[in-house]
Amino acid sequence: MTTTATTRIAARLVDATKIYGEGTAAVTALDGVDLAFEGARFTAIMGPSGSGKSTLLHCVAGLDVLTSGEAYLGDTALGSLSDRALTLLRRERVGFVFQAFNLIPTLTAAENILLPLLIARRAPDRAWFDHIVDTLGLGHRLDHRPAELSGGERQRVAAARALVTRPEIVFADEPSGNLDSRSGAELLGFLRRAVDDFGQTIVMVTHDPAAAAYADRVVFLDDGRVVDELEGPTAERILDRMKSLGG
Amino acid sequence: MLRVALTGLRANKLRVALTGVAIVVGVAFVTASFVFTDTIEARFERLFSEAARGVDVVVRPVRPEFTTGDPTEIGAFDASVLEIVRAVSGVAKAEGGVSGFAQLVDHDGNPIGGQGPPTLGFAWIDDPDLNPMEIRPGNGRAPLAADEIVVDSATASRHGLALGDEVTVITPQGLGRYRIVGIADFGEEESLAGATVTGFRLDEARRRFGLEGRFSEISVVAEPGVPPADLVAALEAILPDGVEAVTAEQATAEQLAEIADALGFLNVALLAFAGVAVFVGAFLIANTFRIIVAQRTRELALYRTIGATAAQVTRLVLVEAVAVAVVAAAVGIVGGVLLSEGLTTAMDALGFAIPDGPLTLRARTVVVGFAVGTIVTAAAALLPARRAGRIPPVAALRLDAVRPPRRSLRDRAQGGGALAAVGVALLGIGLFAGPPNPLAFVGLGAATLFVGIAVLGPFAVGPLTRALGWPLVRWFGAAGLLARENTRREPRRTAATASALMVGVALVVFVAILAASTKATVRASVLETFGADFTITSANFSAGIPRIVVEELAALPELDVVSAVVFDVAGVGDDTARLVAVDPKTIDGLVDLGTSGEVLARLATTPDGVAVAEPLAEREGVGIGDTITLAFPQLPDFPGRVVGIVESSDLGELVVTRATYDRGYLNRFDSMVLARAAGDLAEARRAVEAVVDPYANLRVQTKDEVVADAERQIDQLLALVTGLLFLAVVVAILGITNTLALSIIERTREIGLLRAVGMLRGQVRRMIRWEAVLIALFGALSGIATGILLGWAVVAALRDQGLRSFAVPTGQLAVLVAVAVIAGIVSAVYPGRRAARLDVLEAIAYE
Ligand SMILES: Nc1ncnc2c1ncn2[C@@H]1O[C@H](COP(=O)(O)OP(=O)(O)OP(=O)(O)O)[C@@H](O)[C@H]1O
Ligand SMILES: [Mg+2]
Repeated sequence: MTTTATTRIAARLVDATKIYGEGTAAVTALDGVDLAFEGARFTAIMGPSGSGKSTLLHCVAGLDVLTSGEAYLGDTALGSLSDRALTLLRRERVGFVFQAFNLIPTLTAAENILLPLLIARRAPDRAWFDHIVDTLGLGHRLDHRPAELSGGERQRVAAARALVTRPEIVFADEPSGNLDSRSGAELLGFLRRAVDDFGQTIVMVTHDPAAAAYADRVVFLDDGRVVDELEGPTAERILDRMKSLGG
Repeated sequence: MLRVALTGLRANKLRVALTGVAIVVGVAFVTASFVFTDTIEARFERLFSEAARGVDVVVRPVRPEFTTGDPTEIGAFDASVLEIVRAVSGVAKAEGGVSGFAQLVDHDGNPIGGQGPPTLGFAWIDDPDLNPMEIRPGNGRAPLAADEIVVDSATASRHGLALGDEVTVITPQGLGRYRIVGIADFGEEESLAGATVTGFRLDEARRRFGLEGRFSEISVVAEPGVPPADLVAALEAILPDGVEAVTAEQATAEQLAEIADALGFLNVALLAFAGVAVFVGAFLIANTFRIIVAQRTRELALYRTIGATAAQVTRLVLVEAVAVAVVAAAVGIVGGVLLSEGLTTAMDALGFAIPDGPLTLRARTVVVGFAVGTIVTAAAALLPARRAGRIPPVAALRLDAVRPPRRSLRDRAQGGGALAAVGVALLGIGLFAGPPNPLAFVGLGAATLFVGIAVLGPFAVGPLTRALGWPLVRWFGAAGLLARENTRREPRRTAATASALMVGVALVVFVAILAASTKATVRASVLETFGADFTITSANFSAGIPRIVVEELAALPELDVVSAVVFDVAGVGDDTARLVAVDPKTIDGLVDLGTSGEVLARLATTPDGVAVAEPLAEREGVGIGDTITLAFPQLPDFPGRVVGIVESSDLGELVVTRATYDRGYLNRFDSMVLARAAGDLAEARRAVEAVVDPYANLRVQTKDEVVADAERQIDQLLALVTGLLFLAVVVAILGITNTLALSIIERTREIGLLRAVGMLRGQVRRMIRWEAVLIALFGALSGIATGILLGWAVVAALRDQGLRSFAVPTGQLAVLVAVAVIAGIVSAVYPGRRAARLDVLEAIAYE
């Protein structure tokens, strides 16, 4: 692995295997994955459809449990945690941005951003909230409900929500998948800045080489295995690598 | 298309079951009402024809139209009529009878019966053909001596009376001790509709009822081959005035009609509750189908894209509704049969002996049950079904849910407002304009008002949930905030869900207000009216206070004044009026009849004197000194001399002396004795109790005890009605459960998202719980407001009938709000658990 001794490991998978179903219907979504995500870095996960990207993300984020192996968030092994402990861990230490349906339709943008704090009954850090909202350009949208927001705005609200608790790590599953290229670029630029300016750790699943190019590192998955990775990627290099993997 | 509809049902067993419950309850009440009435009618018909078997014609006094059918008012005629009857050709046998009230006292000194069915005494007829009762072998014999009696076998077994026992019997002549020598049945039955029946020897019966030398009925057997109708005609030709002959068949029919009348209130009550259940159920059904249609928008749109017409989609939903209704109605009919069985048992336990026999389930009942179930369901599902038809085919293709076009808010406001206005107008007409059928107007008005309020409900959801929800948001954080917002997201759905509860609560509040107002009125009226220290009344309906009691009380040195009062009814023109017979020399100051001392003095000195209440005097156009013609059972044209026009009182509209009363009526029971103590109250009371004690049916009460007693009776009735209305509340709770369960399916993703970003299962449950509580509170508060409005209107309308106070039972309303909160919590248990169990991944999985 390309980690240096000084880099903190934010999350990692050790011999992680996930099998869905049983017997002849069993599908191996993850097949002995060893992978670590360094702190304060932006990692992209790529791979063909069905290669296990979402499964990997869910297992390391405490949304799903591995069949064997172990997932760690920081130093916490997730395998032995109860549903309650996993929920609290997600609430306190993890941020999420999904591809779609990120927001509660009945709540305003501001309430959606503050939702994890509201659930935890924690007082928000006003300055931090304002800073995120400012950076994302959502100031004039705070009182609107999701139905009144554009797709790009919705994803930015979701990103703000993911960051508001200052989580150890943010997971994003194709956050720009439903956006046009301009909105997508805005969102990805923001995620990039979160890493650069605040030292946020981000792990993002994407199909789009242009999106993956915002990351510091790209991990390639195929058939539930890590097949390759790339440091300091550009869109061209990613495309090249994808071609070579596909071929 | 039918198959498609039924597949839809199978996929949603739970929601179908919940929707069905409302129909089951409604149909069960309707069915029970019919089965109960039919059963009673069939069983009594058998009983009465059995009792009258062998008798062809009955000769009896002509009953004045205004009387209530009490045996003492049936009257009597001279014994010589029997000889006239026997002389008529075609008469094979004829025997005279005598009847009146006779109160049996059990071995513990308690009165037997009289709370519902009457306590009757009559002269034993030796000829078995003419006697409805029969002493089976081993059950003793007929009374031969004056101190011997026969009792009916149901009374004997129920109260542990055996052959040879000595018992006390109270009649208008006072107490008597008798030995039971026979126990008799009515043909196959042990009891005559639960009446307590005592058979005396003829001369003893006459003495006890004050009917010496008279008969109150003659039973006639016709010669073979003589039709009863011919015999009636022959008898009518020679019978003296005031005596008539009817066929036994007709007499039986009349008895049946009386029973039906007496139990009619039950029938009305059952139908009313059925109406409420069906009405509330209709809201539930409409709401459920509205949600189902919304959830199946895409599926239904798909039918449209593959060529189904709008009408076909509408029909699809309707067929589904009717299929549910048919099954539910069938269950409801079975439930109704069980309910009526339970009802007859309960009536039996209360002392209304209902003859044994099978339940009568007529085809008509089944048809009505199915019709009510299916028609109500189809009607309730009609609007949602029509909306389903309006779903555009493109809805199938769009990613985001397309809702079928909805009516504008302005239409809703106007429609709801118009309905509410029509409802209020109908109520107003029914309550204040005095139409021929006021109850129908009031019922229809209330129903229309309810629908109007339900239609307007969504407008209130925003402000009301905001007001009710702030403590939730404050104290329960995200769960509270989300709960509040969830109730606000679809105001129509929230209002519709709450409307069933609104109706139930409104009715409960309405009844509670009526009861509280009646209590307040009774209290005020008793405290104002009664000046006496004690009142002595009979604890049951059929026996009163024997005259001797008044005489004994009057002799007590502990009492200053004693005065007896009789309440009865007299005919005035084509109408009836409540009559009070008093002793004008002693009554002054003991009870306020609106009469002044001056009027009482004139009443005492004027023969045939009558004091008339002002409204009645006005109606009849009589003044002081005029003559008012009254009809008494024994004096059909009594020329009353008006000696005073008095304020109307709650006790009666005509005041006469007891001497006048005795000429006009056969009844010798007093209704109430009023007494004032000479000195120490407690001492006086002990003395009064000592006199009254042997008379098991009598009780001594102070003013406060009278009030407390009346209040207790009102409370009992209130509890019964409220208990039944709570069925509607239960249906409403099911409605909330149903709506929540459905909306959770709809919100699967949302809940998954909440769980993903850190919401604990407990928090999810709490969110659903507070949501349910908000809906329930919304329903309860709008119901309380509507109920107060209804209660106020009805109390205002009844002011003329003596309901003078309007009282809102705030304590009970607070309890109701608490019940609503609990109901909300209970209704959220199941949906909350489901929501908390949702799999996070499945919920956030993107199709
Ligand atoms: N709940 C499940 N039950 C059974 N099989 C599943 C389940 N979830 C995922 N799979 C299977 O596991 C494999 C990996 O799925 P996963 O969703 O992780 O793929 P992915 O890389 O995210 O694909 P995509 O790019 O299409 O989102 C696939 O073969 C999928 O069919
Ligand atoms: Mg995926």
